[in-house]
Amino acid sequence: MASSIEYQQLVKKNYLTAIKEALDGEMTRNPNMVCIGEDIGILGGAFGVTDGLLAKHGRQRVIDAPISEALIVGAATGMALNGKTVVAEMQFIDFISCGFDQIVNMLATYCYRTGGEVGMNVVIRGPAGAYGGGALYHSQMNEAWFCNSPGIKVICPSTPYDAMGMTRAALRDGNPVLIYEIKELYRKRDIEEELPTEDYIVPLGQAAVRREGTDLTFVSYGQNVYHCLEAADKLAEQGYRAEVIDIRSLVPLDMDTIKTSLAKTNRCVVVNEAPMTCGFAGELVARIATEAFDLLDAPPLRVTRLDTPVPWAKSLETFVLPNTQKVLDAALKVLKY
Amino acid sequence: MTPTATKTKAAPRKLEPHQTPILARDLLTPEDHRELLNQLYLARYFDVRLIKEKKRGRLRGTLYSSHNQEAVLVGSLYGLEPTDWISPIHRDMPAFFLKDAKNGWRNPERIGMSIEEVCSQVWCKVTSPGRARDNWSHIGSKAKRIIHSTSMLAGTIPVAAGVAYANRLDGGNDVVLTYNGEGSTAQGIFHEAINFAAVHKLPVVTIVENNQWAYGTPLELSSPNKDVADRAKGYSIPGLVADGQDVLDVYDKVMQAVEHARAGNGPSIVECKTFRAYGHGDHDDDRAAKYRPAEEVERGRSRDPLAVYKTWLQEQGLLSKDEADRHSPEGRSASEVTDEDFPHEVVLYMKEGIEYAIQAPAPPAEEGGMWVFKE
Repeated sequence: MASSIEYQQLVKKNYLTAIKEALDGEMTRNPNMVCIGEDIGILGGAFGVTDGLLAKHGRQRVIDAPISEALIVGAATGMALNGKTVVAEMQFIDFISCGFDQIVNMLATYCYRTGGEVGMNVVIRGPAGAYGGGALYHSQMNEAWFCNSPGIKVICPSTPYDAMGMTRAALRDGNPVLIYEIKELYRKRDIEEELPTEDYIVPLGQAAVRREGTDLTFVSYGQNVYHCLEAADKLAEQGYRAEVIDIRSLVPLDMDTIKTSLAKTNRCVVVNEAPMTCGFAGELVARIATEAFDLLDAPPLRVTRLDTPVPWAKSLETFVLPNTQKVLDAALKVLKY
Repeated sequence: MTPTATKTKAAPRKLEPHQTPILARDLLTPEDHRELLNQLYLARYFDVRLIKEKKRGRLRGTLYSSHNQEAVLVGSLYGLEPTDWISPIHRDMPAFFLKDAKNGWRNPERIGMSIEEVCSQVWCKVTSPGRARDNWSHIGSKAKRIIHSTSMLAGTIPVAAGVAYANRLDGGNDVVLTYNGEGSTAQGIFHEAINFAAVHKLPVVTIVENNQWAYGTPLELSSPNKDVADRAKGYSIPGLVADGQDVLDVYDKVMQAVEHARAGNGPSIVECKTFRAYGHGDHDDDRAAKYRPAEEVERGRSRDPLAVYKTWLQEQGLLSKDEADRHSPEGRSASEVTDEDFPHEVVLYMKEGIEYAIQAPAPPAEEGGMWVFKE
């Protein structure tokens, strides 16, 4: 019995391994694929996501870049223009601001500017999100900047299965895709899972229902999905059945799954860890209000970070970020409206 | 402030049969010289004609004149291999049709844009290589090896580095020539990109068209370097200075950098000292007259690239005085010249482009919502 449990643990894979294997597999499958980023080769990446790629695929295709995010994105764009599929790693997604112009003006507009002639096979990926004591510059979720910049897809997987399948899908999409990898999930033990050995993808633009329910819909992504699932457990103790939707892909957005859920529950709470003002939670609420107003019995609520940076001390961090209790409080408010 | 002849300017020299070629120009034939002169006329005429069209209210947006800077474009492009890449910016419109023009202006096989394509872009027509989606010089073509620029200056240098890197992975050594103003050398991405190109010895040649003015800001407020090419020292790469009014000096220096790059020795910066004839854009002409002292403008425009080249050609016995005087737009503004001041073949070529563009349809309105993503 004990040995069978051990065996199960061996074949389960964490979120980081899922991404690593997706990258390695695609590099093997596609000789035109290149990775570029800070410390991704010799070191194997700050978190180890690219560990082993240099040894296997060579330094020509696994490029240790200078500390130059704009260059990394611009060079990725040039390589893609000249026929390559490129993964550009941001060491922390917070540092993406240093490459902002090259992303929103050079890369994301390329297809539009060329009248559809040039598709950009560029995936930008990096560790994102708070809750780990990373403070102001190692905690951000700045996805709204890019959702507001036409021409780049934005995704945020929350499980190892999705991390592998969506990374593969992004690399085969033919358009710029920005992946928010949740670093707190990289090695989280209780989400490890067995992954199919055969090639599979998770198509971009399809939400997942993580838990079914009839009384309330949580709409979330990233690690906040787990706050919603915990809140749903607590709601069940009070007799409410909450549905949890993990949108997974922000651009493109699967509104159908959300609307199907709202047709059952008529109530919703949107949860993300970005600041509230002009954040993606606001976009979700706006889309729900304009496309599903007739389905609602209560105003949708948002649970987000306060409109502050992410502070360092645990007490401060907890104060500004969403958590299960805050999600639960919002849910009860909506349920009792 | 004046684009004076530089410390490295080569003296005109005529090659005797027993002499070994030293400069790239030494290998140019009389046919090459005729072509270079015609390309200078063409670049000037294109600019003159667009200024006139713009003044008549026929064009949209802002016109960034390349008047007085044509030698930089003609001289830098002439020696490239057809398969080399370029990334022109706002003041470089003629570069699109000058690329590989020596293989026949109307040759559909050449790896450069046709005058019809370029005029279609200027007239906002669907036949433009970018289907008139972004304006003026923001066009390009994978097939023609022209990188599409944005308005963010120096922003194409990292893309050029990426193009070169990918080409190297495929076993090639195509050179990528990027164009930039002296003002854009102050951008962080200028540093990031050249630094990377130098680390990997990528064949990227960065042309700096130093026309002394970045919109309304003079060089001394943009750069601590008297020669912007000195920035190359920080990357341990060659920094060459060319007389941007002298098409052959530009040709020599750029070819030096191109051959250095193609041989695997890495990037260079080639600063071409020139002078902006008018305002930053045509909207700025009146104000430019105020922020730039008249005597500086007069001095800056005193060495018209057409005049400089024609003088040299006559000294070399490659052009007679009659031929030199037959068409003389040099030293004059767009409003002061007519079609009679240009060779007929130049006027005719441009006319074909304009007529094509005028008759071409505008993009269908619904295209405005298309191609955010590749389907």
